[in-house]
Amino acid sequence: MYIIIVGGGRLGYYLAKALLDEGHEVLILEKDAAVCQSINNELGSICLRGDGCEAMTLEQAGTSRADMLIAVTGEDEDNLVACQVAKHKFKVLRTIARVRNPRNEDFFRQLGVDVAVSSTSIILEHIKHELPTHPLMHLLTIQEKELEIVEVTISPESITVGKQVRELSLPPESILSLVIRKERKPTVPTGTTTLQDGDQIIAVTRPESVEALKSALTGS
Amino acid sequence: MKVVIMGCGRVGAQLAAMLDKEGHQVTTLDIDAYSFRRLPPEFGGSAIIGNGVDEETLKKVGIEEADAFVAVTQGDNRNVMASQIAKHKFKVPRVICRIYDPLRSDIYSLLGLEAISPTTVFAQMLKEKLEG
Amino acid sequence: MEFHNILVPVAGAKADEGAIELACRLANRKNGSRIFAVHVIPVERSLPLDTEIASEINRAETILTHIEEIARRRNCLIETDILQAREVGPAIIDEAIEREVDLILIGVTYKKHFGQFCLGDVLPYVLKNAPCRVLLDHQLDESEV
Repeated sequence: MYIIIVGGGRLGYYLAKALLDEGHEVLILEKDAAVCQSINNELGSICLRGDGCEAMTLEQAGTSRADMLIAVTGEDEDNLVACQVAKHKFKVLRTIARVRNPRNEDFFRQLGVDVAVSSTSIILEHIKHELPTHPLMHLLTIQEKELEIVEVTISPESITVGKQVRELSLPPESILSLVIRKERKPTVPTGTTTLQDGDQIIAVTRPESVEALKSALTGS
Repeated sequence: MKVVIMGCGRVGAQLAAMLDKEGHQVTTLDIDAYSFRRLPPEFGGSAIIGNGVDEETLKKVGIEEADAFVAVTQGDNRNVMASQIAKHKFKVPRVICRIYDPLRSDIYSLLGLEAISPTTVFAQMLKEKLEG
Repeated sequence: MEFHNILVPVAGAKADEGAIELACRLANRKNGSRIFAVHVIPVERSLPLDTEIASEINRAETILTHIEEIARRRNCLIETDILQAREVGPAIIDEAIEREVDLILIGVTYKKHFGQFCLGDVLPYVLKNAPCRVLLDHQLDESEV
């Protein structure tokens, strides 16, 4: 694949390195001449000096044959514009933007950016996972199918402890797919599986039903 | 008319002053308080410090009730992003955006933003002067 | 002064001829010295690196055949190669490292760019990064005299 990375900061540099190792053709676009030169010295001629939001630079970079463009500058607005120009002028199929402000994640997607990644949100998810007060964790979003895969942990306070799965009123289109219990092999739950304190339940559901699923499973 | 102007540089300040004089309700927004020195002493609108690419800030300056939003900061991309927030998120009826780079301006015009490139406009004006 | 392996990057300029003649003189032929004449085709980013651009390849072959002919007149056998790269300077350096040359010899005619003396991008890069000795053979551009 031909992948263009906009922004030669630390994130761009390590991304390029990893993608080169995987055998992809990579080009970094970076405004700062000195940064550009030090990347070229280290990784070979893979950095082009220029503004990745400018159509002219993107033209020079051969963006119309790129399979993917990843914008990882430090500014949300620059990342948005780089992705939009790549998408609409050069018809790049996949565009990925780094967002600093987590509120921009959804907005960027509405504006046509295929993937918007916020390190704040990612770290927050990890914190939620580490903290026992957060019984629910998002594992994966399948955007095309509008499905969420989540993990719900049953705590001693959950009023569902001791109940059977068939007694729960799960939201529509929600499936409990796996129960992970301490010191036991994961099992696929059936209607007669009884919930216990400490169970980790992996479930598939609709994004709008996530909260309802959580309360059905934990009672809170 | 209720107008929010993002960027209180020479253009932003002058536009704010003109609209204010005609009796419109004007709010100017800039990340640097020092920029507001450009507003005339009799300016009757409000001047607020904040970043226009942030939804919360835009709400604070009353974007939800605004009839028009104008983005004239020095950064093309900041103007583009703020304008898209105003247009798509807050459904402001009239959104105008300055984009210096003519190519980028063309792209966003195609995407439905009302974009003006001063580069193109001014070069055209100079040419007409020379030919006139 | 004699050298073992000499790299002569050629671009199709008149100065290439003088450079290859000098390389033939400097090579220690009894010792099995080798001379490599290479032409680098810069490939713009809008094309994959391995794109075969017929016009460029034809031009490169013409240049290298001509250089070979000049060397032959001096009873000197040389090896030729065509390289494709995004940038010429790094390609020359990589080639010098790979072939373990002990001299890079380049013919130059000083250029004027926007009315000012200009060495271009390639020569400064080679001078800065070369793993071996570099000789620049400056010749007068007769068309400018």
